[in-house]
Amino acid sequence: MASYILKRLMSTIPTLFGILTIVFVMIRIAPGDPALAILGDNASQEALDAFRERMGLNDPMIVQYWDFLKDLASGSLGVSMVTGKPVADSVASVLPFTLELAFGAIFFGIIIGVPIGIISAIWRNGWLDYFFRVVSLLGLSFPAFLTAILLILWLSIEWRIFPVISTPTGGGLWDRIYNLILPALSLGIIMVAYIMRSARSAMLDVMGEDYIRTARAKGAPGRRLIWHHALRNALIPIVTVVGLYFGLLIGNAVLTEIIFNRPGLGKLIVLSLNQRDYTTLQGLMIVSALMIVIVNLLTDLCYALVDPRVKLK
Amino acid sequence: MNVIKTTMAAALMATSALSLPTIAQAQDLTMAIAAKSAGQLDPHVSTKTQDKIVFAMIFNGLVRFAPGSMSSDAIEPDLAESWTSSEDGLVWEFKLREGVQFHGGYGELTAEDVVYSLTRAGNPDLSSVSSDYKAFKSVEAIDDYTVRITLSEVIPSVLGVVANYHGGNMVSKKAGEELGESFQTNPVGTGPFAFSQLAEGQFVELVAHEDYFRGAPEIDKITARYMSAASARDLAFQTGELHMIAGSREDRWVDKTSGGDATVAVFEPGELRTLHVNTSKPPFDDIRVRQALAHAINREELIAFAGSKVARGNEAPVPDGYIGHESDITFLPYDPEKAKALLAEAGYPDGVEIPIAITELASLFGPMQVIQAQLSKVGMNIKFDVMEHSAWHKAIRDDVSPLVLYGAARFPVADTYLTQFYHSDSIVKTPTAVTNFSHCDMADDQIVAARSEPNKEMQQQYWSEAQQILVDNVCSVPLFELLQVWALAPEIDLGYELGGSLSLGPVITEKTTLSE
Repeated sequence: MASYILKRLMSTIPTLFGILTIVFVMIRIAPGDPALAILGDNASQEALDAFRERMGLNDPMIVQYWDFLKDLASGSLGVSMVTGKPVADSVASVLPFTLELAFGAIFFGIIIGVPIGIISAIWRNGWLDYFFRVVSLLGLSFPAFLTAILLILWLSIEWRIFPVISTPTGGGLWDRIYNLILPALSLGIIMVAYIMRSARSAMLDVMGEDYIRTARAKGAPGRRLIWHHALRNALIPIVTVVGLYFGLLIGNAVLTEIIFNRPGLGKLIVLSLNQRDYTTLQGLMIVSALMIVIVNLLTDLCYALVDPRVKLK
Repeated sequence: MNVIKTTMAAALMATSALSLPTIAQAQDLTMAIAAKSAGQLDPHVSTKTQDKIVFAMIFNGLVRFAPGSMSSDAIEPDLAESWTSSEDGLVWEFKLREGVQFHGGYGELTAEDVVYSLTRAGNPDLSSVSSDYKAFKSVEAIDDYTVRITLSEVIPSVLGVVANYHGGNMVSKKAGEELGESFQTNPVGTGPFAFSQLAEGQFVELVAHEDYFRGAPEIDKITARYMSAASARDLAFQTGELHMIAGSREDRWVDKTSGGDATVAVFEPGELRTLHVNTSKPPFDDIRVRQALAHAINREELIAFAGSKVARGNEAPVPDGYIGHESDITFLPYDPEKAKALLAEAGYPDGVEIPIAITELASLFGPMQVIQAQLSKVGMNIKFDVMEHSAWHKAIRDDVSPLVLYGAARFPVADTYLTQFYHSDSIVKTPTAVTNFSHCDMADDQIVAARSEPNKEMQQQYWSEAQQILVDNVCSVPLFELLQVWALAPEIDLGYELGGSLSLGPVITEKTTLSE
């Protein structure tokens, strides 16, 4: 197992290297000027020139790239061009919020999506199945920001249960969870739709298998049949969807983070892009890519956990 | 349904301290700025809109615009209690207040801090507004509480550049030297509120400066949130989570928001929306085409589009309310038939296609679409290259667009606007470039003469002449001014009448209070 993990991690190095090279080049050839974006449109030409010189933006791209690699080799993600703070600090300050939002969304996705997926599969083509399929289609069709605004209108403005501004810092654990519920729910609704649909189709496949028929013929009770025999074998597609969706969550979370005024990796990426803060953007992309690699690895490890037939080599 | 609603609400409320973060807490004020994040919190570095209001609460100048005003006539003592100037206007002496304390235990403000601040503001490596201080030959500390500024030439407003705006904000020498580059994330001033913390992309928190020289502020803490989504700001204001929000500059929003208890403040400065015309390239190198353009634009329609509560017309190149603004300008009126005739005379009887760069930002893209429709009626077919805002700023400074719709508020003296937008030194893509997109230089003599003219009447005459020359040559078509719009909760008493704010928002002072 350990050697498998090590091999997988090693194999990601070329991928990460490719990603950071593409990001490095792309943000520099994208139109825009970091000096103007950071100092403001009223900054004098002298100040803009001085800023570019100080930040090394006048150096040839290859020189900038070499400096970037040297920093990276020494374990540094560089220093933000806007705040002057180490990029690693910026990442560390928002990463926990992104993770808690992603896990919160996945939590809602699983606790709602899996049961309704199973119900839909059991009562296939019944009115409940149709109802859940329509609801899941709505979940998929609604953009995250619209879901967020609708939830705010309903639960914050009308019912006054949750705050509009999600304040994840300060307060105790309960306060933090309380502030997480609405953003996680708004993001999790899409997740519910994905998980429900994959749980339903996986359960339908499994329920048609011979061993289920055999178990039923041998008199296995319905509940045991579903939860023990069928669901366990239907988990792999669900785990795959969760793993894949985790990566997408970082991107999808941007609008949720903006609407609820939450800190997060996605929001910081957009902010850095707007400000043309090259160094922060590079660091964030490396961290995001690394996160996706790790989640994919964890997904593979989960396969072995849920299905003993899967061997990790 | 009611049972479900009550049960859900009760269950959630019962779980520990899950109360809504209502802001009834003593004197903690929460506001929302329309931006994604703070820029660099150094008043000499950032010229970004979202930082101006924060600077106004942390820093002081030697003099200040009276709270709620942005008129140079309302300049009053701030850190300096008095000042004198030589007859030729080249030597200025400022007498500082004694006992003014910096935040964070950085000690008393002395003349050394003022010398440090003004020298720093004039250094292009440390300041974005260094060009404003080019005429500063020397800044000396005569004694602990006296500063002498010697100019190499007379400038239109010495008080303007030492006021609480951009480079005029005084910083602590000790803090500046000690913190170096990290000053921008730990700003130290003498204002009523001290910087406490910055959560990137979320908020900046300021706390009361108990030793503030005008007295301890009534407000204990200010949380200025960065919320770029207008809908999120509106919703949080509705639930009472925010006391003040930057509004949308449209009549519909003003009507909707002022319907309840909230106050909607519409105030100066008006950001002048101007269509700058590149006179150096075809087809606008021909004055007849430029005149056709001016005749084709219907200002009334543009004002109606923006909304008469938040917009007002202006035909002069300098915004209304600025010293030197000329209100009696002879301009080319809306006359589409004349526009068509001029275009035909210039060799475009079948019309002309004009590709332009335009930002995706609604406050500029919206009016530009109206202009596009107006111009198409006379045969000027505008083709948009819509760009992300930052990319657009770069593109227009690279001189790629023959027409540039730009909106700006600057220090309220005609010289600033005329120099940055119409003097030849400011032509884009030159080493001294600022924002002269039109390449016009025909008013250079008047702009320069006004700058050092000691006689106020004569100075106004030069500025008026300059504006008329620019309009006659159609270097730009000034369109309308868009005012600042904020909503304030009923419990706020700013402690002053809000007529204008160079910080582009309602500044919280030591006198601002929140009622229960």
